Amino acid sequence: MALRSDYEHGRADSYRVATVIATDDDNRTADGHYKSKRKMPAKAAKKENLDDLKQELDIDHHKISPEEMYQRFQTHPENGLSHAKAKENLERDGPNALTPPKQTPEWVKFCKNLFGGFAMLLWIGAILCFVAYSIQASTSEEPSDDNLYLGIVLSAVVIVTGIFSYYQESKSSKIMESFKNMVPQFATVIREGEKLTLRAEDLVLGDVVEVKFGDRIPADIRIIEARSFKVDNSSLTGESEPQSRNAEFTHENPLETKNLAFFSTNAVEGTAKGVVISCGDHTVMGRIAGLASGLDTGETPIAKEIHHFIHLITGVAVFLGVTFFVIAFILGYHWLDAVIFLIGIIVANVPEGLLATVTVCLTLTAKRMASKNCLVKNLEAVETLGSTSTICSDKTGTLTQNRMTVAHMWFDNQIIEADTTEDQSGVQYDRTSPGFKALSRIATLCNRAEFKGGQDGVPILKKEVSGDASEAALLKCMELALGDVMNIRKRNKKIAELPFNSTNKYQVSIHDNEDPNDPRYLLVMKGAPERILERCSTIFINGKEKVLDEEMKEAFNNAYMELGGLGERVLGFCDFMLPSDKYPSGYKFNTDDINFPIDNLRFVGLMSMIDPPRAAVPDAVAKCRSAGIKVIMVTGDHPITAKAIAKSVGIISEGNETVEDIAQRLNIPISEVNPREAKAAVVHGAELRDVSSNQLDEILRYHTEIVFARTSPQQKLIIVEGCQRMGAIVAVTGDGVNDSPALKKADIGVAMGIAGSDVSKQAADMILLDDNFASIVTGVEEGRLIFDNLKKSIAYTLTSNIPEISPFLAFILCDIPLPLGTVTILCIDLGTDMVPAISLAYEHAEADIMKRPPRDPFNDKLVNSRLISMAYGQIGMIQAAAGFFVYFVIMAENGFLPRHLFGIRKMWDSKAVNDLTDSYGQEWTYRDRKTLEYTCHTAFFISIVVVQWADLIICKTRRNSIFQQGMRNWALNFGLVFETVLAAFLSYCPGMEKGLRMYPLKLVWWFPAIPFALAIFIYDETRRFYLRRNPGGWLEQETYY
Amino acid sequence: MSKNNGKPEKVEYEYYQPAKKRTFGEMLYDPQEGTFFGRTGKSWGQLMLFYGIFYIVLAALFSICMQCLLSTISDTQPKWQLKESLIGTNPGLGFRPLSEQTERGSVIEFDGKKPAESDYWIELIDEFLIDYNHTEGREMKHCSFGQTHNPTDVCVVNMDLFGACSKANNYGYKTNEPCIFLKLNKIFGWVPEVYDAPEKDMPEDLTRLITNTSQEERKQIWVSCNGHLGKDKENFQNISYYPSQGFPSFYYPYLNQPGYLSPLVAVQFHSPPRGQMLDVECRAWAKNVFYSGSARDRRGSVTFQIVVE
Repeated sequence: MALRSDYEHGRADSYRVATVIATDDDNRTADGHYKSKRKMPAKAAKKENLDDLKQELDIDHHKISPEEMYQRFQTHPENGLSHAKAKENLERDGPNALTPPKQTPEWVKFCKNLFGGFAMLLWIGAILCFVAYSIQASTSEEPSDDNLYLGIVLSAVVIVTGIFSYYQESKSSKIMESFKNMVPQFATVIREGEKLTLRAEDLVLGDVVEVKFGDRIPADIRIIEARSFKVDNSSLTGESEPQSRNAEFTHENPLETKNLAFFSTNAVEGTAKGVVISCGDHTVMGRIAGLASGLDTGETPIAKEIHHFIHLITGVAVFLGVTFFVIAFILGYHWLDAVIFLIGIIVANVPEGLLATVTVCLTLTAKRMASKNCLVKNLEAVETLGSTSTICSDKTGTLTQNRMTVAHMWFDNQIIEADTTEDQSGVQYDRTSPGFKALSRIATLCNRAEFKGGQDGVPILKKEVSGDASEAALLKCMELALGDVMNIRKRNKKIAELPFNSTNKYQVSIHDNEDPNDPRYLLVMKGAPERILERCSTIFINGKEKVLDEEMKEAFNNAYMELGGLGERVLGFCDFMLPSDKYPSGYKFNTDDINFPIDNLRFVGLMSMIDPPRAAVPDAVAKCRSAGIKVIMVTGDHPITAKAIAKSVGIISEGNETVEDIAQRLNIPISEVNPREAKAAVVHGAELRDVSSNQLDEILRYHTEIVFARTSPQQKLIIVEGCQRMGAIVAVTGDGVNDSPALKKADIGVAMGIAGSDVSKQAADMILLDDNFASIVTGVEEGRLIFDNLKKSIAYTLTSNIPEISPFLAFILCDIPLPLGTVTILCIDLGTDMVPAISLAYEHAEADIMKRPPRDPFNDKLVNSRLISMAYGQIGMIQAAAGFFVYFVIMAENGFLPRHLFGIRKMWDSKAVNDLTDSYGQEWTYRDRKTLEYTCHTAFFISIVVVQWADLIICKTRRNSIFQQGMRNWALNFGLVFETVLAAFLSYCPGMEKGLRMYPLKLVWWFPAIPFALAIFIYDETRRFYLRRNPGGWLEQETYY
Repeated sequence: MSKNNGKPEKVEYEYYQPAKKRTFGEMLYDPQEGTFFGRTGKSWGQLMLFYGIFYIVLAALFSICMQCLLSTISDTQPKWQLKESLIGTNPGLGFRPLSEQTERGSVIEFDGKKPAESDYWIELIDEFLIDYNHTEGREMKHCSFGQTHNPTDVCVVNMDLFGACSKANNYGYKTNEPCIFLKLNKIFGWVPEVYDAPEKDMPEDLTRLITNTSQEERKQIWVSCNGHLGKDKENFQNISYYPSQGFPSFYYPYLNQPGYLSPLVAVQFHSPPRGQMLDVECRAWAKNVFYSGSARDRRGSVTFQIVVE
């Protein structure tokens, strides 16, 4: 019966079921596809290596006799290795440290930034400029250096934005360095009979090392001597229980046998001596870390979106550029002119500042998230949580507090709930009943755990305790209930003690009675409940001692079953007052040859412990679910415990049953239950081993609430891959080394900052500094918000592309003087548009973004046809109209009436023509009309700024009215002022006419664009009004981006 | 963060799947869904209608604005003049013949022995002078320095005074002694402030000319032509100016008078060197004509090149 082994679970139960995969993992899914897309058979060497890592550990160091082992490593249990041999081994095997994951060289990263994205297009533009200039320079004596100038500006733009994004990237990747463990690890080693303290890296195979509690195991070691030695394997296996280790070979499975302890796990109790059997990357930990770093992770969703967008824009730019290049030829332009048109179109089409804007927006969000305890290692991961549709969460330490806590007590024939919350805000129970007093006395006295010194200010629950996790739980519970436990123990001095062992499964101690009038000794016992009950003949109920009859046993069993069913570890407690006649004061108790009664005792009660969920988790899980995110628990722990925690945090919601539950309720065999009826599922690692990927898909598809228990690192990986195969964007949270392959494989891996192992942090994209699952909700919210805001930001930036391109097209097609120059385009893209676009990142959400399902990564694109239609087809067109109107105003007011302009271009741009006639017969020199032209450029530029005011305000919202949203985004308001001031500066600052060809404008020339700005505002308010009135209507389908 | 205290909303988890791949043919026309380029005919129609209305309204807005603009603009005089206008108060010089092929720039290249080449330029000048030669029916006045005249009067440019640079002489092109016609750019309302005494930096011949001119006739905007950037000086010893070396001030101001003709100065280059590019810079001299000779910022002057094969 499962319950019988509850007390020892985590000790005798086997981890092997979870870790051995029957079929070899060939890195293919069941249908023969390669699991990771990029890994093609061509990379045979790498693949084999990775496959090797995916294999389970196969060693025999734990099986062979100690003598054979000493022989093998040429070592000696007392004297250790010789210095010469150690040196030889060190030279052969290298240092005992994990090879850090391969880093992309810095210059490669830099080049990616310099040539990625739009940079390539701009480089082409720049090169064309230089080519055009050199041709002009070689053919004419006085070449205009416009092209040289533009080429230099373009190159500078590319280089500066490249350096900027490289800087941002490297800044966020530096985060990892703060986690690097700077304190070197030391190990006590015996070499040539001498005890040495060496750095852990200098350990070699065959070294004899000594480990004591509190140490980190410096390498994989085989234990040859141990004194009550226990290790915490949780970072490796996910089991929260400390495991005892000794020299016995108990299991075939290296992870299970008691005579091995593993690199980087912690010794929590006792001391041991062992022989190093593997080092560095060959350790179990090293292999898992290697598996994690060998995985390809693919692009983040936002990177995909940005690439999609870049392709779109590049496509448009190249298409337009080439088309007009050809048109220019057909129209009979000189090929050099055609090249210059091409440059203009490229410059106008590429939103030069946009990628920098996106980077800044992501950085801002990353900073905001960091202040909410989500540290983002990879900038793009900022958004990934927002797209996440499935979260695979580890249990221990993430959902739970990773701290055994007393959850329930059973005395006086009733179950009392103890307070498990972190801040003791839960229910309180009656601490005055005699039943509780008796129970608490046993729990206090029959307990070897003690608080470690020097923790006066620390809250009781957070204090560190030396000793077994359950005893620590009892100690803390009693300290909370009774106060000073150490004082109570002092008053009831321990006379004798029979420590716990796995055969007896109980622990006994005998104490002085604190009542000075009562000379009797007190015997207290705790242990596995059924064993304790066997030793009792009476039971203490409501202050009276009663005979333990069948009825009482039935009540005990029910309570035991109930608590066990909650996934809690149950301990039984009993006591006995030793009669003073038989055991007078000063009686010599002998614990080896027991000379005191350990039968017919008085049963007092049960106490049950669990690693309780963190307080914020249920709320966070509920929020995830209302946000349409599936939360799956993937744990190395036991199914019962896992299910209980899943239920208490809401991963399995109330009323939802698993197949087993249905079977139990209907009293039919499990095989007769229709699996479709069960919404919840608890899948054991052992079952998962035999499941094909199709079956796994079915589990993932038909069960909405899933718990995977007893899973190995490899299986975690398979689960993540399964979810990704279903089209989900998967977040994985975990803290242990065993989680790291899954963390790496996930679209976003979230590691724990406090409890997390270094390997898991290395593999993760995000680190929760407070280890709190609830921070993930913040991450999701921020991620979704930034996605929405990036859309707005891009919509805003792209809109100004139309007024930038259209002057060129008009220039070529209508033969009018150029209305807007390339330099002014750059001033818009890299000057006035930047701050407003960035400020949209500060925009508040329009509606509750946590109430809608996650975005569909296949259809809900960052930049979709509706956004382009809005930006280019509608708002952009109004803006272009505004620009052209201002252009015509200035031309007309200075003498060139609109109809006069068409066809004038050739004469206009010819330096030889020094007397071009306008509509009033005035004759313009080349210089004067260029001044006029550049003034028009400036005015066109200013008018774009004016209409971009309106555009910025309408981009604040995608559905709501601005009157609902308000103007409280002060960054954005600043942006409005900023772009205006910058535009005025560029226009009016003396010297600008030389540097940027910007000329001061008459004040009245600011106004012609205003009707168009109003038109944009009114049009879009109306559009959004109909959008809200007719949800899902035609307008929404066509214009809601 | 949103506070969600109630029961979480029931969301059925659906895994998103990528849209089914379409072939290129299906993208053009999908018979199953009846879509062209991903839209049905009806959908295309709706979209066109939407954009049709949108652009009509936008065009209307633009037209209204343009109407407003044109209503504020006079037919006879520019809205902004002189300093207010970007044309400024500093007229430049223009020259003819000027090739219509802008890529030829300001180079006048011909061989007087080859009729095709010289006729090209002669025709250009003929075309330019049509207005000057056909003044029938225009109300014009023969102005002279002594007279006072109405600002609205139009003064005659007498084509008989151009001497060797006459049509009869083929403007000197057939004899390889080409005439270039210079004119001062018209600027609405601009009135010259003439130099009635020689200036320090004037070329010698101009200084001499001014001193030899009577005080009354000194009311001219003087013109001088020279080798550009000081080179080819020796080639410019032999230049004639017709009818005089300046634009008489009585032609100004230009007020867009009907039939107004700019005064001209014909510059004849006698015996220019053969097969060599003659880089000429002509400059106007008046107190309110500022000169700048730099390529990018040329003011009060003009350059052209003559190549006589």
